[in-house]
Amino acid sequence: MSARDEILKRVRAGVGKDDFSARRALAEAYMAERKRGPQPTLGAELAVRFKSKAESLSSSVEVLPERAEAPAAVARYLTAGGFGLQAVITGDVAGLDWTGSGLTVAARPAVDADKVGISGCFCAVAETGTLMLLSGPETPATVSLLPETHIALVEVSRIVATMEDAFALLRAERGDLPRAINFISGPSRTGDIEQTIVLGAHGPCRVHLILTGTNP
Amino acid sequence: MSAAKHSQAMHFQARAGKEVRNAVLQRALQKAKPLFVGKRAKGIAALSEDKLEFEALRTACEDIRNRVLTDLDVWLAIFEERARASGAEVLWARDGDEICRHVVDVARQHGVTKATKSKSMLSEEARLNEALAAAGIRPVETDLGEYIVQLAGETPSHIIAPAVHKTIGDVEALFAKEHGRPVETRTSADIPAMAREAREVLRQHFLSAEMGISGANFLIAETGTAALVTNEGNGRMVTTLPKVHVVITGIEKIVPTLEDFATLMRLLPRSATGQSISNYVSLLTGTKQPGDSDGPEKTVFILVDNGRANLLGSAYQDMLRCIRCGACMNHCPVYFSLGGHAYGWVYPGPMGSVLTPLYTGIENALDLPHASTGCNQCGSVCPVRIPLPKLMHRLREEQVERGLRPWSESFGLKAWALVAGKPALYRWVMRRAARYLNWLADGSGSIRIFGLAPGWTAGRDLPVSSGKTFHELYAARKRA
Repeated sequence: MSARDEILKRVRAGVGKDDFSARRALAEAYMAERKRGPQPTLGAELAVRFKSKAESLSSSVEVLPERAEAPAAVARYLTAGGFGLQAVITGDVAGLDWTGSGLTVAARPAVDADKVGISGCFCAVAETGTLMLLSGPETPATVSLLPETHIALVEVSRIVATMEDAFALLRAERGDLPRAINFISGPSRTGDIEQTIVLGAHGPCRVHLILTGTNP
Repeated sequence: MSAAKHSQAMHFQARAGKEVRNAVLQRALQKAKPLFVGKRAKGIAALSEDKLEFEALRTACEDIRNRVLTDLDVWLAIFEERARASGAEVLWARDGDEICRHVVDVARQHGVTKATKSKSMLSEEARLNEALAAAGIRPVETDLGEYIVQLAGETPSHIIAPAVHKTIGDVEALFAKEHGRPVETRTSADIPAMAREAREVLRQHFLSAEMGISGANFLIAETGTAALVTNEGNGRMVTTLPKVHVVITGIEKIVPTLEDFATLMRLLPRSATGQSISNYVSLLTGTKQPGDSDGPEKTVFILVDNGRANLLGSAYQDMLRCIRCGACMNHCPVYFSLGGHAYGWVYPGPMGSVLTPLYTGIENALDLPHASTGCNQCGSVCPVRIPLPKLMHRLREEQVERGLRPWSESFGLKAWALVAGKPALYRWVMRRAARYLNWLADGSGSIRIFGLAPGWTAGRDLPVSSGKTFHELYAARKRA
């Protein structure tokens, strides 16, 4: 007997029910229902909540009225930190006038040598101050992963309350799941040496968010 | 059971005795405990800021896990179908040896010489690193704690903080040796530099490995997806860069929907580290899509039984709800007296005291269900409400039913039952015992060293009564 058959036989014996197709129909109905668990009540405006949560997770946040102002703000941030003005960028935000602000950006997947990665995001989650990024030809996952500095552009209109709302938006706009959904909440961290938290474990050491749209 | 051959759980008492005298370990544990407990308490308390209640979330999480377990055959079928439809391959493994065979086969098919690993407790159950090394494939652990433990040639002592038993000096010695540099004197101010050093070494492994191996915190049936929760970003690395990704998970890890996953995520990181969310939560579905520049060309799920299916429908089914947050060990007085290695197998703490006998054989882990003070701290913090002390009690009962207790214990209990069943005899024996103990104490009210059980008085005195039994005292008071 194959491992699959043997394991499933044991599982069926343990479950101890026979009406498989009826139970399968119930399972399908349950999935279609998309029932949510207890939902949080978020007091503040979503953008305010998102900003304060993101900051509490060690991201820095700059608020701008217009997305067109992002390149100048990014240039200021990079210059102030001494991080250099070269960046790898995802296609969804490559169209802004980066060169006009003195940046040299390349829209391609990131490599080890890239110091700065600039991305947009599919949406952001206010509850936890989290970015939701989807992998795709225009938005390689490496851009938010390999460089030491990750800068993400977030539109206030794309901030949703919860992870459940983010999934609902994804289903509405995209249907299927991409290969990778990455929820990112601040710079990578480790506490594995004597429980001391260090930022910059394997992913970015710093995450800077540019929040554009209305002023939170 | 094949898992039993790697278990040292039968040597629990000897190992425990050694660990309580290990001053370095004791210092590390004493430092970690208040951090673990404090962070979780803060994380759970913060739920109320959003008007969320821990008990209501717990019930929701418990229900989600129970829903899957009571129809696991159905959910496995749905997951398998949808994972395959998304382009992944699904393999099944009865035990650890079969996991190893699958992984080595996949590695050989793709010419793999090096595999980077994100933390997978199932790969510890299977002793996968040994099997890979024997097949000429280099396994590199990339979770910093796992990396430290791998360099030391040890196993993790905690499921969330694998190197919790290591001091900064231990880590420095291991890094110096592995990275080919002299040992330096390190203080906690150097920890960022040490993490940086590991980052640089491991980055090269991430870039060059042909295969990534990970576990999955959950499998989402609706979409055929693996959910991976990490803080370091190593989970993202091993599932983004190599051309092959192997996911090794237990068959019980399924949750029905993305919504259910979101519910569980409100308690998993909080229970583990007190975080409202972990830094990286990745949902991985299928393989690299047309036009994608990254992601594996081949994704393989290995769905593992290794003792799990036998718990379905048994008195221990509740244990399969476990989401491996580690809160039970973080709140266990026994764990913090001994550390994780004393438990002798993959899972330490209360979780291990239940899982090890169930997965490696009750007869191969006789002491573990007794490694409990019965305080129920574990049961009260468990995010999926597993009644851990009750399960340990059930295992103890099963030891008695199967005649696995030592003859002296069975004899003693039989003798006690005989005496306790005859009131006159009982009172006579108790009178003799009370007089004897009082004589031993020489009227001082306590015994320094009790010859019949010297272990009890090794670190304390045994208080004794004045030489009168309870019955005698009660009768005297009634007369007065």
